[in-house]
Amino acid sequence: MLVIRRRAGESILIGEGIEIQVAEISGGRVKLGIVAPAEVTILRKEVKLTREQNLAAARGISLGQLAELAAQVGRGRGA
Amino acid sequence: MERFESKHFGMIEFQPETVIQFPAGLPGFEQESRFVALEQPGVKPIVFLHSLSRPDLCFITLPALVVEPDFRLRVPTEDLRTLELAEDRQPQIGAEVACLAVVSVAEGQAPTANLLAPILVNLRTRRALQVIAPESGYSHQHPLPVAL
Repeated sequence: MLVIRRRAGESILIGEGIEIQVAEISGGRVKLGIVAPAEVTILRKEVKLTREQNLAAARGISLGQLAELAAQVGRGRGA
Repeated sequence: MERFESKHFGMIEFQPETVIQFPAGLPGFEQESRFVALEQPGVKPIVFLHSLSRPDLCFITLPALVVEPDFRLRVPTEDLRTLELAEDRQPQIGAEVACLAVVSVAEGQAPTANLLAPILVNLRTRRALQVIAPESGYSHQHPLPVAL
């Protein structure tokens, strides 16, 4: 992984069309400004992870797995 | 009483006022805004979140507190607003909101629950949102409690 040190107000460029500017740094958080072509999707990583997880969850689960799951968490809470 | 034909459960009946509304859908399912929560004998505490527009779409969820007894909410302010909850504090699970974690099973692996992004349902208004809360520190693939 490439690691670059930047101050507030400074930018990095990725390829021809993408600029990421460090807009503000405060309290352990960084505010980023992003300029990119319309066809480039920009997502917070956790949104992508959750989307993938939801799509996987919707593919379903067999009845056997379901019973196993219920037994596992049921016992786990002392039910 | 309304009825809906589910691919998984056959005909399901529900009271219109129990419908859970996701104004923005869920990540990956942005068009799905109406769900019902179903429980089935023998598989408690599993809660099935069934879409009311797709007969095949049903999420298996577990109460976050079953997955992780010490689970703590870290709901961002804008999400509290979307959920029509008080914005100056975290809501109380069980009293003000239901908090469910979506369960998924990857091929050949143990099932996990998404505690990074729990589904919160305002129990008063039935408005719901999958709250993505990276500051909570929980994983999108949190292991389930191991049977004793």
